[in-house]
Amino acid sequence: MIQKILIANRGEIALRIVRACRELGIKTLAVYSEADVQSLHVQLADEAICIGGPRGSDSYLRADRIISAAEIADVDAIHPGYGFLSENAKFAEQCESCNIKFIGPKSKSIKMMGDKAIAKETVRKAGVPIVPGSDGPVETEAEAVKIARKIGYPVIIKAVAGGGGRGMRIAHNDVSFAKEYHVARNEAEKAFGNGAVYIEKYIEKPRHIEFQILADSHGKVVHLGERDCSVQRRHQKLIEESPSPFLTADLRKRMGKAAVKAAQAAGYENAGTIEFLVDAKGNFYFIEMNTRIQVEHPVTEEVTGIDLIKQQIRVANGEKLDFDQSDVKFEKHAIECRINAEDPARNFAPSPGTIGLYYAPGGHGVRVDSHVYSGYTIPAYYDSMIGKLICYGSTRKVALERSYRALSEYLIRGIKTTIPLHKAIMADPTFIEGKATTAYMEDFMNRTPADLFV
Amino acid sequence: MTRSELTEFAVEEEGFKLKIRRGEFPVVSSSRPTLPPLTLPAPAPAAPAPATPAAPAAPSGDEPGITYIKSPMVGTFYRSPSPESKPFVENGAKIVENTVVCIIEAMKIMNEIQAEVKGTIVETLVENGQPVEYGQRLFKVKQG
Repeated sequence: MIQKILIANRGEIALRIVRACRELGIKTLAVYSEADVQSLHVQLADEAICIGGPRGSDSYLRADRIISAAEIADVDAIHPGYGFLSENAKFAEQCESCNIKFIGPKSKSIKMMGDKAIAKETVRKAGVPIVPGSDGPVETEAEAVKIARKIGYPVIIKAVAGGGGRGMRIAHNDVSFAKEYHVARNEAEKAFGNGAVYIEKYIEKPRHIEFQILADSHGKVVHLGERDCSVQRRHQKLIEESPSPFLTADLRKRMGKAAVKAAQAAGYENAGTIEFLVDAKGNFYFIEMNTRIQVEHPVTEEVTGIDLIKQQIRVANGEKLDFDQSDVKFEKHAIECRINAEDPARNFAPSPGTIGLYYAPGGHGVRVDSHVYSGYTIPAYYDSMIGKLICYGSTRKVALERSYRALSEYLIRGIKTTIPLHKAIMADPTFIEGKATTAYMEDFMNRTPADLFV
Repeated sequence: MTRSELTEFAVEEEGFKLKIRRGEFPVVSSSRPTLPPLTLPAPAPAAPAPATPAAPAAPSGDEPGITYIKSPMVGTFYRSPSPESKPFVENGAKIVENTVVCIIEAMKIMNEIQAEVKGTIVETLVENGQPVEYGQRLFKVKQG
């Protein structure tokens, strides 16, 4: 029986976990860095232990100090949140060997899905469509061209050691392929010290649609629907919504089945997300699995009514899921806007500092997940997300208008935020019509005068 | 009471007792059961003062020359190398930078903590066997 949980994270997700634990009657221990002394979740948790200096590498990433804190405070379980150590298989293993329950999947699932090549191969064997590509790095240009022709242009040449959108070149035919191949290898060598590249089919203007998975430790796996996360800037999500305005009921069913198959192939337990790219024709391809709770989990919570953090804790407790796939209903439409302390007019430059007046919107269908408050100083050491605004209603139209209304009320003085940007997107015809793909943000920024989102 | 010569006065009636002694405050006690005191929810623990992220030997802000040896890790504090031995340092002990002042046990590993400052131990601020957090003050030291 889990009675005390150590929260190995910070900011809004740490607060979210404290709230779920309180409602379940579970004691909480917050571990925090010296920069987070004034953090809201540290004040609200039952106990708190300082684990290091401001830098993540000196605190939230220090598995040794976190486990030490868990031992001296005698906790039963650790919730890793997202980011930091949440997908660190070694950390999950350390928890397992110390008899502390890691609230998430088994370490071997994290390891398996953390290697992109192994993940793709694992789900491919289970019959889940993957992005066609070379099986691993290509050795010679001749081999690469052969694969490119087999896959069919356009193709994308990716650095094996790359990531986060870096080290990628696109080729549309044999002629440009030769050039792009060499450029890609040289760039990879210079940027990552490793010139190895692999080839994948390039899906033009795809939608990023992911499925939420929940699995218990008794073999039951369900999906809780999709989230459309196509509105991204530099591969960072800005807005997520569910249901996706693009999916038909049939496509949702097929993708949902594929997501469950992928999770089963990974021997998965607890909450996770299967990410797909979907092209204009409705073909979908597995790209990766996130073996953790995600930032945008509230979108699914408001659509289905299921509390994902509580479910994570219940699964970790060994309980069976008390509902079946057929019980999962998609009752609402929900849209989440990630509020960042950034200045959209200055190329999204981070805007840390002290918040003066803070007033969060409210009313019917409005949820704010944020750890900030009037007088709070945003530390400069972590990411710039200061909160999430989730608006939901019976239809997409209601959710859109509600988001616009709530964003209009949202006051955060003293720092720059992306609130005006989100407002402008809520009013943008392309987004309103549900036509946003991953190419949307670049197009929006190009055609929208800066003073409309400041 | 000052008008009389009485120095002590006591009255006892059903449900009521009064005892007055000259020079003392009246004590009224009742044999009726009292209601349990109203307990308000305990206020949230006060935020610890923001720790200065300085090296362990940085001056503290109280008396000049006083500094603190702070814990560089999370774990359990032990004053001695083993339960039977003498403490590494007592109050008044002279220390140099590489003097081992205590052990902090983290995950079954006994870590010897060095002073990293030269001076004299003024006070030991934590108890033997006490859990300590990162940055917690362990010893008060007079530098020099």
